[in-house]
Amino acid sequence: MSTEPPATLAAWLRTRSDEQLRALLVARPDVARPAPSDVVALASRLAVPVSVDRALDELDAATLQVLDVVLLAPTDGMAPDALVAALPEVPDDVLTGAVGTLTTRALLWGDDVLHAPDPVRRAVRHPAGLGRRALDLRVQLPADLPAALAELAPDERAVLERLAGDRPVGHLPDAPANGAATPARRLLQRGLLARIDALNVELPREIGVLLRGGSPYGPPRRRPEPAVVTRDPQVADRRAAGAALETVGRIGELLALLEEEPAGLLRSGGVGVRDQKRLAKALHVPEPEAAWLLELAFASGLLDVGGPHRDEWLPTRGYDVWREQDLADRWAVLAAGWLDGVRLPSLVGVRDLAGKAANALSPDLVRHTAPAIRRSALAVLAERPPGSGLAPEDLTALLRWRTPRRADRLAPVPDMLAEAARLGVLVSGVLSAAGRGLLAAGEDGAADGMRGLLPEPVDHVLAQPDLSLIAPGPLVAELADTLAVVADVESSGGATVFRVSESSVRRALDAGWSATDLHDFFAKASRTPVPQALDYLVDDVARQHGRLRVGAIESYVRSDDHGLLSQVLNDRRTAAAELRRLAPGVLVSGLGADEVLTVLREAGYAPAGENPGGAVLTRPPARPRAAGRRPGSESHPAPRALSADDLDATVREIRAGDAALAARRGEAVRQVPGVTTASTLELLSRAVREGVPVWLGYVDAQGSGSQRVVQPVSLAGGFLSGYDERRGENRTFAVHRITSIALVEPDAG
Amino acid sequence: MNDGPLIVQSDKTLLLEVDHPLARDCRSAIAPFAELERSPEHVHTYRVTPLALWNARAAGHDAEQVVDALVRYSRYPVPHALLVDVADTMDRFGRLTLAQNPVHGLVLTTTDRAVLEEVVRSKRVAPMLGARIDPDSVVVHPSERGRLKQALLKIGWPAEDLAGYVDGQAHPIELDQADWHLRDYQQEAVEGFWAGGSGVVVLPCGAGKTLVGAAAMAEAKATTLILVTNTVAGRQWKRELIARTSLTEEEIGEYSGERKEIRPVTIATYQVITTRRKGEYRHLDLFDAQDWGLIVYDEVHLLPAPIFRLTADLQSRRRLGLTATLVREDGREDDVFSLIGPKRYDAPWRDIEAQGYIAPAECIEVRVSLDDEERMTYAVAEPEERYRIAATAQSKLPVIRRVLERHPEEQKLVIGAYLDQLEELGTALDAPVIQGSTTNKERERLFQAFRVGEIKTLVVSKVANFSIDLPEAAVAVQVSGTFGSRQEEAQRLGRVLRPKADGRQAHFYTVVSRDTLDSEYAAHRQRFLAEQGYAYTIVDAADLAGPGEVNGPDWVDEPAD
Repeated sequence: MSTEPPATLAAWLRTRSDEQLRALLVARPDVARPAPSDVVALASRLAVPVSVDRALDELDAATLQVLDVVLLAPTDGMAPDALVAALPEVPDDVLTGAVGTLTTRALLWGDDVLHAPDPVRRAVRHPAGLGRRALDLRVQLPADLPAALAELAPDERAVLERLAGDRPVGHLPDAPANGAATPARRLLQRGLLARIDALNVELPREIGVLLRGGSPYGPPRRRPEPAVVTRDPQVADRRAAGAALETVGRIGELLALLEEEPAGLLRSGGVGVRDQKRLAKALHVPEPEAAWLLELAFASGLLDVGGPHRDEWLPTRGYDVWREQDLADRWAVLAAGWLDGVRLPSLVGVRDLAGKAANALSPDLVRHTAPAIRRSALAVLAERPPGSGLAPEDLTALLRWRTPRRADRLAPVPDMLAEAARLGVLVSGVLSAAGRGLLAAGEDGAADGMRGLLPEPVDHVLAQPDLSLIAPGPLVAELADTLAVVADVESSGGATVFRVSESSVRRALDAGWSATDLHDFFAKASRTPVPQALDYLVDDVARQHGRLRVGAIESYVRSDDHGLLSQVLNDRRTAAAELRRLAPGVLVSGLGADEVLTVLREAGYAPAGENPGGAVLTRPPARPRAAGRRPGSESHPAPRALSADDLDATVREIRAGDAALAARRGEAVRQVPGVTTASTLELLSRAVREGVPVWLGYVDAQGSGSQRVVQPVSLAGGFLSGYDERRGENRTFAVHRITSIALVEPDAG
Repeated sequence: MNDGPLIVQSDKTLLLEVDHPLARDCRSAIAPFAELERSPEHVHTYRVTPLALWNARAAGHDAEQVVDALVRYSRYPVPHALLVDVADTMDRFGRLTLAQNPVHGLVLTTTDRAVLEEVVRSKRVAPMLGARIDPDSVVVHPSERGRLKQALLKIGWPAEDLAGYVDGQAHPIELDQADWHLRDYQQEAVEGFWAGGSGVVVLPCGAGKTLVGAAAMAEAKATTLILVTNTVAGRQWKRELIARTSLTEEEIGEYSGERKEIRPVTIATYQVITTRRKGEYRHLDLFDAQDWGLIVYDEVHLLPAPIFRLTADLQSRRRLGLTATLVREDGREDDVFSLIGPKRYDAPWRDIEAQGYIAPAECIEVRVSLDDEERMTYAVAEPEERYRIAATAQSKLPVIRRVLERHPEEQKLVIGAYLDQLEELGTALDAPVIQGSTTNKERERLFQAFRVGEIKTLVVSKVANFSIDLPEAAVAVQVSGTFGSRQEEAQRLGRVLRPKADGRQAHFYTVVSRDTLDSEYAAHRQRFLAEQGYAYTIVDAADLAGPGEVNGPDWVDEPAD
């Protein structure tokens, strides 16, 4: 190793150990794909502005402050000792950590002296909130700056003080009509401010530093130490379960409502305000709550656009599966749908610049960063032991410190936390066990965390003399379906209160129930004795219902075609059916419907069975369903993490390319790719013959170029096979893809 | 999961399973902050409303106790949002307090400046406030004390009134407990009221509200104004006060349409106070006629709206509201809260009944089939006539007679709404009729005769709904009523719920025409009674067994205990 300190980023990178390179690739995975061919390629990848921004975005405020100090150093290169002097209030371990973070990411480089690469300088526009140097702003500062500042008018000084704060750039106010110069304009004339465009001015760095006095880099940006909220984990879990139960119940009710009467799809997408109002009213919730439920159902894949004209919001087929699942699984579907949803439900009702309020389910609510923000916010809480957490505002402050450059993305965080609390992922700042499960293991983890906390479904109700039926817990699906027909829901939650009324009994009778069925059903479903009033109600309504259709017959034959009926009646072959005419369109029989059907079919007719409700007895048509989509498929899949093998391979690749680059070699033969020149072939066959390693410039089938040093083995049929020592692989090279070639000369040293 | 008796619903109703071993404990834990809405046989329904929560706060309960009670007794996890909402709502009470300041007089102070800022900026409230004393307090015009509280409640920041009361002119009043004693719950009610200063005591009809009033007067020992619904109720009060307290006939005045006496204890009717001539209330002087130390409002749930306005000016006097129910059909429960005061005592009917102070009642609906002619008349009648036709059907008469025959020895009331029907019944049953045009004197005479048992059956119109006291009516037969109003039902039930000398069971019959509007209204009634927890039986007129027969009245009677 040479003792000279490396002079460039690439040279410095070359001195890094494999371990350190690996760490760099882990920290900045975007430069690792496709694998850079050598250190120089790696260095140029690291200089790509997008990559630099991305790396800077992930730094916390303390690290950025250290970076600022290096960037503000008068000359390039700063010794770590100077850093300590510049930030006296920052503890050493924080400084060391920050320098480590920055060098690991190659945002600073150098071992004894820290250098900042130019792309980083460009990416940090206003380090420590200071403007550019006067020289760069092309401003001629007064020779005695402190004196010049001392004689400023107070209003002028105030302008400078303000610009010396967090943002050195300010908006130039319009000149007043009377022509008097504003303080800012006077400062411009004196050359204490620089104009950067028609509207904005910038404060030169020198003035900012001077005004800040003792601490030009601002106060130390320490990690906030928020008050920790603690909750008994069991209590928190019980409360989470309460929220979960509520949410699952509400979603079920919402979708049942939409099944009855779908909501219309607006031309601009989304659900209309009128539908939202209707649903809110039916669910007895405020409208924003209804919007949240709609969004949640959609995010979980339970609700989508469907219907014959694809203009209605309908429950999806997934809903049919969902409602059969047990409560914990149902909740997990919702929680996972929410976590990975790319929409921000909290934006419903927020007016845009044009003053138009966003509708629920409108496509305008999509924010692709949403899942990442949600996860990063919850991840902060997941780092804490169970039962401890943070208040929402503290959490936001901590996130802001962690990623100050992304602070503008944190606006939806409070709403997201509120949503998490509604779901039961979060309970007053503390993650529930189910919430932890959700973050760690997705849907299954969420369901496991919630299992055992939610009530088991019950299969009975309590009938009361005031004609209410109380289901003391979530109902098994079958009983819930039946009760939906014979009674109306009055109140829901942990239990459901149904009320049997005249109209609900009539509805049941219309649906084909008989009074006896109803009596039997109530007797069977109720754990308490059926009150007399309920029996009377059923009988009363049934009596009215029966008034119009009473008769002691077993079956009937009816048709709109009276002629056909006459024909049937007079047909000798149907005599066995014992038919008689009740009305012009109706024949009745004392025999069972099956017998009559058989007789008619044998006589060559084509009768169809009818149920007591009057519908043709065929398989009932399926309820309308939207096709649906898989939840979360809208979001971009996160890039696959680099595995240890990937890392090893990439580092090996870089090292190999680097070695190839560094290999001392003879005169290279260059060729136009695809055109194999005689000299190339000659050099290659010589290498094979003499067993001399060759240096190859090569473009692979994917079009990426690399340099390699290969020990050739054979040359045949347009392919060179050989052993690449550094990569440790045997492989074949197509001769026509070789761009240049040289013999490697044995190292003199 | 715990196996509690309570299920908390999303709409803030609480379902309490009565047969659960913990039900009693749970009931006493939730009673302070939840209003009992329905109490049918198995599961009782309570509702947590902001008013109920504020009532609880006023009674000294805090949000933690409420949340704890919900969480401890709940069978299922309680939605966190609901708990937060409860805490938030309760937190709103007491941010603002009204108090006497030695320098500035009546002052509204706050513990939360933002709230005061919001309130001061409210259009509704601002005119009632005077100068700002400091950032946390503002002067209130003394005359606006009541209206301010009303307005603050409307905008959701109820004020706690600690401004105190004037003692009023002292007047010696003692309870005369020689041959009787205040019952425990009456004592508790008085204590609750007195400790709170002003407020409402909720007790069922027949549970002795008059005595609670008398005991409160004995506590205040000051001149008292009693506001009652009508003259008969007023006389009833007077009689009770003379019998139960040291007050004499000369000390109690009657202020009604007939007489205008102002004495240390004055009983006035709502009607006379709200009488207007040329658009002006004629009898407002009454409120200033004496330096009243206590104002008692009988039947608060019937308090007419004008009296609310007058009451707003009486905020420095102690006020006691007495009622059987806080449910007002005009929905002005919040005015009762802000102008008379929070609920200070509440005992559910069933509990008092279990203590033996109210006769257990059996509710029976007797269904009568109309004859063909009546059915035809009903079928072709104008919609607005239908109810009258159904309710006054001739076919009811023999059934009513038969019902009365079941109870030959009891005191019986026949209650109806239509005068010609009542007249007809009076003639047919040979019983006197009391209706609106019956003079007070005649009423008093008939009631007295009924009380001593000279008359066994009385036919009464809806004038009897309110505040008359018929201690020995053990059987009530309702033949027609105004459209199944809940309030009316509570009152009528109260008629037969007065304690019986020998603990006999009371019977409440409703005679209903089958398959008509009458039976539809009966369904409302049935629901109300079932919700109140009464056994409700439906019987066909033809199946109505007489005395001594299987299922006859003496057959189902429980032995007295």
